[in-house]
Amino acid sequence: MQTILIDDDPTGVFLVKRLFQRAGLPDCLTTFLLPAEALAFLQQAPTEALPEVILLDLNMPLLSGWDVLEALKPQQEELKQRCSIYILTSSLAPADVARAKDNPLVVALLHKPLDYQKIQDIQARLRQ
Amino acid sequence: MDAGAPIAASEVRFRSLFENTPELVLYQNPAGIILDANPAFLAVVEKSKEQVIGKPYSDFLPLRAQPIFTQKLREAIAGKTVRFEVFASQGQSAPRHWDVVKIPLRQEGEVVGVHMVARDITEKTQHQEEIFVQNQNLQQFAYIVSHNLRAPLANAVGLVELLSTEEQGSPFFEETRQYLQQNLQQLDLVLRDMNTILTIRDQQHLAVPESVPLQEIISQVLQDLADVLDQCGGTTQIEIDQHMRVQANRAYLYSIFFNLLTNAIKYRSDQRPLHIAIAAIRDGGGRQVVTITDNGVGFDQEQAGADIFKLYKRFHTKLSGRGVGLYLVKTHVENMGGQIEVHSQLGEGTRFTLTLR
Repeated sequence: MQTILIDDDPTGVFLVKRLFQRAGLPDCLTTFLLPAEALAFLQQAPTEALPEVILLDLNMPLLSGWDVLEALKPQQEELKQRCSIYILTSSLAPADVARAKDNPLVVALLHKPLDYQKIQDIQARLRQ
Repeated sequence: MDAGAPIAASEVRFRSLFENTPELVLYQNPAGIILDANPAFLAVVEKSKEQVIGKPYSDFLPLRAQPIFTQKLREAIAGKTVRFEVFASQGQSAPRHWDVVKIPLRQEGEVVGVHMVARDITEKTQHQEEIFVQNQNLQQFAYIVSHNLRAPLANAVGLVELLSTEEQGSPFFEETRQYLQQNLQQLDLVLRDMNTILTIRDQQHLAVPESVPLQEIISQVLQDLADVLDQCGGTTQIEIDQHMRVQANRAYLYSIFFNLLTNAIKYRSDQRPLHIAIAAIRDGGGRQVVTITDNGVGFDQEQAGADIFKLYKRFHTKLSGRGVGLYLVKTHVENMGGQIEVHSQLGEGTRFTLTLR
């Protein structure tokens, strides 16, 4: 399950990394602390290099998770074929949940913290 | 007993009310023509009684407000007492908020005319609007705070979960524990920030301004930051008349310059040694204009827009910042009746301009 995590919070990155290790997926995770770098990667990557799963934080300086999704719009069709994008946020705001539902790129919004159960759910969904 | 006497007495009573009430009172016929107008109305439209009687009321209303008055007059003529609120001028007056009642007058079961009473509710409406805005701000504040509590808390929950599966004493255990500690400290910081902000809001009416020598405050801040400035090789240049005074609260003023200078140090460029210039001039309106200019990393003003002074908004990715400092600075400046503006260019530096009384 090739996954990239976009989160500016070092704790968030540490937690997800360790969870992936413990779930037996240590080589499946690439992390970006800077959303701009992640965006550049996604925009340049050939289709076959795109990850299967993207975990995207919302509240980041300069480029929010919503900004990243907006910037990815031109390659929406390609991404939908290949990637499942999950929003991973500590926000409990119903407005964010509603906005995630409306965004065709987003599979679901997950509330932080990520845990084994959520990783298993993502995997199960991927197998479907 | 003369039957006319009690009627005359009640006529006097009602006449007195009509003549002296601050509410605008009109009597219109079903065609909308003014048949009587009280002094309050005449005073607002600045006309004599002769100039008003026999004219359609719509002559005194702005085009925009005429349809609602016409519609409500029609309802009153149909026999209904109607009440509505409208924002309109009367004659040449400034527009105000009015609470208007139109009451049909019947003679032998037929509506022969309509009384109108209009009460000026401008101040009440404005207060309501203020409270509405304040409520929205507080709700936004509560939302922001809850979000910023939730972030470290969610981390802590995840870390504790992880910790229970790590072998005690292992490097992973230790690293997880350290992250846990950091996040709990962060949680504490958010609560402390909230406390600071609430205290300031609470005290904003108590902040009695005094005449404060500007240079003295800035010298004090520079002295307190001297070590940090030295360590990063920073220099400062101060051009302020030593006699210049501002109407301010001493503690606020200190906090403003402390925050701005700390920011200048924190967001210095590694391409060149930090230089901060502080200058003050008196503008034409007798206000003091203070500029604080640095040659630091700056920020993209277009991207930051109006958010730069907002609570918990951050504009630098690599450096730590809680997004509280500039919010406090702006709050302090505005509490003292001043203004703050910022001009910044990425890679060039930042200039804050304070206008103080």
